[in-house]
Amino acid sequence: MANGWSIFIGLAIILAMCTAAWVFSPKGENQVLWRSSLILAFVSCYLMWAITFLAQLHPLIEPRRSDIRKEFVHH
Amino acid sequence: MAPTKDTPFRSADMSMVQLYISNEIGREVVNALGELGLVQFRDLNGELSAFQRAYTKDIRRLDNVERQLRYFHSQMDKASIPLRKLDLDVETLAPPTTTEIDELAERCQGLEQRVSSLNESYETLKKREVELTEWRWVLREAGGFFDRAHGSVEEIRASMDNDDAPLLQDVEHNTGAADVERSFSGMNIGFVAGVIARDRVAAFERILWRTLRGNLYMNQAEIPEPLIDPSTNEPVSKNVFVIFAHGKEILAKIRKISESMGAEVYNVDENSDLRRDQVHEVNARLNDVQNVLRNTQQTLEAELTQISRALSAWVVLIGKEKAVYNTLNLFSYDGARRTLIAEGWCPKHDLPLIRSTLQDVTNRAGLSVPTIINEIRTNKKPPTYLKTNKFTEAFQTIVNAYGTATYQEVNPAIPVIVTFPFLFAVMFGDFGHAIIMLCASLAMIYWEKPLRKVTFELFAMVYYGRYIALVMAVFSVYTGLIYNDVFSKSMTLFSSQWEWDIPENWTEGQALVGKLKDPNYRYPFGLDWRWHGTENDLLFSNSYKMKMSIILGWAHMTYSLCFSYINARHFKKPIDIWGNFVPGMIFFQAIFGYLVVCIIYKWSVDWFAIGQQPPGLLNMLIYMFLQPGFIDIPLYKGQAAVQKFLLFLAVLQVPILLFLKPFYLRWEHNRARAKGYRGIGERSRVSALDEDDEGRGTNGRPSGESDEGVGMIAQGVDHEEEEHEEFEFGEVMIHQVIHTIEFCLNCVSHTASYLRLWALSLAHQQLSAVLWSMTMGPALKNGKGIGGAIFLVVIFAAFFCLSCIILIIMEGVSAMLHSLRLAWVESFSKFAEFGGWPFAPFSFGTLMEENEELKEYLG
Repeated sequence: MANGWSIFIGLAIILAMCTAAWVFSPKGENQVLWRSSLILAFVSCYLMWAITFLAQLHPLIEPRRSDIRKEFVHH
Repeated sequence: MAPTKDTPFRSADMSMVQLYISNEIGREVVNALGELGLVQFRDLNGELSAFQRAYTKDIRRLDNVERQLRYFHSQMDKASIPLRKLDLDVETLAPPTTTEIDELAERCQGLEQRVSSLNESYETLKKREVELTEWRWVLREAGGFFDRAHGSVEEIRASMDNDDAPLLQDVEHNTGAADVERSFSGMNIGFVAGVIARDRVAAFERILWRTLRGNLYMNQAEIPEPLIDPSTNEPVSKNVFVIFAHGKEILAKIRKISESMGAEVYNVDENSDLRRDQVHEVNARLNDVQNVLRNTQQTLEAELTQISRALSAWVVLIGKEKAVYNTLNLFSYDGARRTLIAEGWCPKHDLPLIRSTLQDVTNRAGLSVPTIINEIRTNKKPPTYLKTNKFTEAFQTIVNAYGTATYQEVNPAIPVIVTFPFLFAVMFGDFGHAIIMLCASLAMIYWEKPLRKVTFELFAMVYYGRYIALVMAVFSVYTGLIYNDVFSKSMTLFSSQWEWDIPENWTEGQALVGKLKDPNYRYPFGLDWRWHGTENDLLFSNSYKMKMSIILGWAHMTYSLCFSYINARHFKKPIDIWGNFVPGMIFFQAIFGYLVVCIIYKWSVDWFAIGQQPPGLLNMLIYMFLQPGFIDIPLYKGQAAVQKFLLFLAVLQVPILLFLKPFYLRWEHNRARAKGYRGIGERSRVSALDEDDEGRGTNGRPSGESDEGVGMIAQGVDHEEEEHEEFEFGEVMIHQVIHTIEFCLNCVSHTASYLRLWALSLAHQQLSAVLWSMTMGPALKNGKGIGGAIFLVVIFAAFFCLSCIILIIMEGVSAMLHSLRLAWVESFSKFAEFGGWPFAPFSFGTLMEENEELKEYLG
């Protein structure tokens, strides 16, 4: 069940992934590149998901449509 | 403190080095360094013009060889012999020795002579051939005239008012033929036969008519095949003419006129037997000429084919050799010690590699005098050298297109690697389009090697950015899933959080409103598909996307601003932290950080459950500035106080931003002055050699060894170089005022600028919806039977092509440009200075890549 706590669960997962990215980035002169790119990518993706989730958490408007056919009304 | 390795995070540590190279191995050393491609040499002969330099003679000679090679190439083009291109990936060229280059030059000289002499004789022969062909045509056509004319001699005679004495007989054509009594000469008529270009015939006729007052009889016939003009190699159609007239003078006149009109006059015998002999003779000669011509052509082609095998390699060798001498021209020559002195920049961490390379060269040459490389201290600004690899190269290029980062500041390309494709994806979010793009970029990466040879410019550009395309596509797949868009349709991956609230006596066509299925269940990933196709879809998605744009923009700018802290710390300028970074950050967070917190807070509150009206955040922000303390609709308790405090905090930062740094700098400067320090020299110390040139003896350095040769180097090196800047308070203040105004205004305008993320993603989504509704939608709805199936296939093809062209390529380019702007303007303005100059080492690799002329020889 996905409720408001998901944001924090997601955050925990992302933090774990970032830590993993930090630790397991291949050594060498490109290590900084790996770390920064991976962590930035994870955080960006998390941010977008979290924003989308939050926007639907307590919706202020409901979907409305009038072209629903009878067969699909319960789908 | 300095890192032990160069990372892509900053530009590499650079050192100014000085090389003392023994004169004999100068060429070899430069050659080896060119292969290495790590040293950028400085011009130590600034005051010498190009002609006065030591190696100009060699360069001239190589120029000549280059000209000869180009000549061969043009000859090969003419003979349409294909050039064997040199593939530098497959074969490597060993660095040539001087003797090899000399041999090559000599060989080119010989070959040029041979080719040009062959060409010459070919042209002469060709001319001869054309002449003979023309003659043959004249003989054939004129023969026809004669045969026709002979039948009517009597008539001509009768019609002519002939009172000339027989003395004026045309001697030339009086050949004692068999039927002399019937010949033209017998009646004093001579003739001129020849060939003239067809477009000149009319003028020729007119001139003849006028000058001879009509005393002529002209006959002409067209030569059916066009003849080749040997000088221009173009086909010209010509006519054969025979002019009959009487009187030697008139004939001579006709000859002259013909010659001046560019006609060729040929000798034709009147007598048909003799003419037949002539024809035979001409044919025989023509045959001979053609044989010789063919042989010549074959020899020439054989020669050129042989050249074509090696030409590319030669061109490359000569190109490199020329670059070497051009570099040697930058060096200074110390005549007394017979050494070349070079100065240049190179990456500090590559110094051991350069040293060992130099050692190798010296060993190979068997010299006892080693090549010395010294690091010198200088206060000149080193060049920015950002190492790239296959993956980062394209990203670095789009950053460098904006400017060259200052030496050792945070490489702006580092955040760009993720933020640029990610912001692109926010605008391009469509799963279907992203998958197509992903396939294309993966294909380009999988067939990396074969595709590299494609020279089609547009493709080469896309190919160059294949890794950018890959990252963009990967992020677009993600954002497509978040937006829940596949070609404008949605996916029902998870169960929706909404269900339709069906009233009791509902009939089809009545409006339905959704209600939450379960208060504890929310759509877990991305946008709920139930929104798709609803009437208030845009209302919801616009609000969501706008807020997302603001939050992402805030995150992007905050992240970028943090780099200015890293830069200030790296350059050890604490005043930049306290005078720029901290107040700037507080200002930005007090306004826009607060806005973001409010957005998130508003989302997290269940407004219906607590029975309150949700406030409009836009109004809240506007009132926060216009009427501090006035709350339209409250968001939380104590909001007025918090907002007043934040506003005060933000306003307070403006004077700090304005004055802290300039006044601190002035205080620091005055303190230094008071302690007796002066500015660091009136002239910046260019190199270690500087000391020799002015302060000889005075600086206590034993400079007895230094002589004119060395002294010369330092003189006049970069006179235009900026003087060490004297501290000027006014200038610093103006600079800071501009920075402050720019920063504060930019906080507002840049945040607004991120709304393009919303606008473009809306445009993309709507455009793909329109495309679907115009193509696939009706086709799926109306298609029935076989016809419908075929129609569907056709429509699908159209849909797919339009999707690729408009939605992927055009929209993709537009999203890319917007994302580029966000990187260049919104992000870079927060931290990057872009005050550097690029490191351009002397490298054969870049020489091959950048020289347009060499490109056509390389496969």
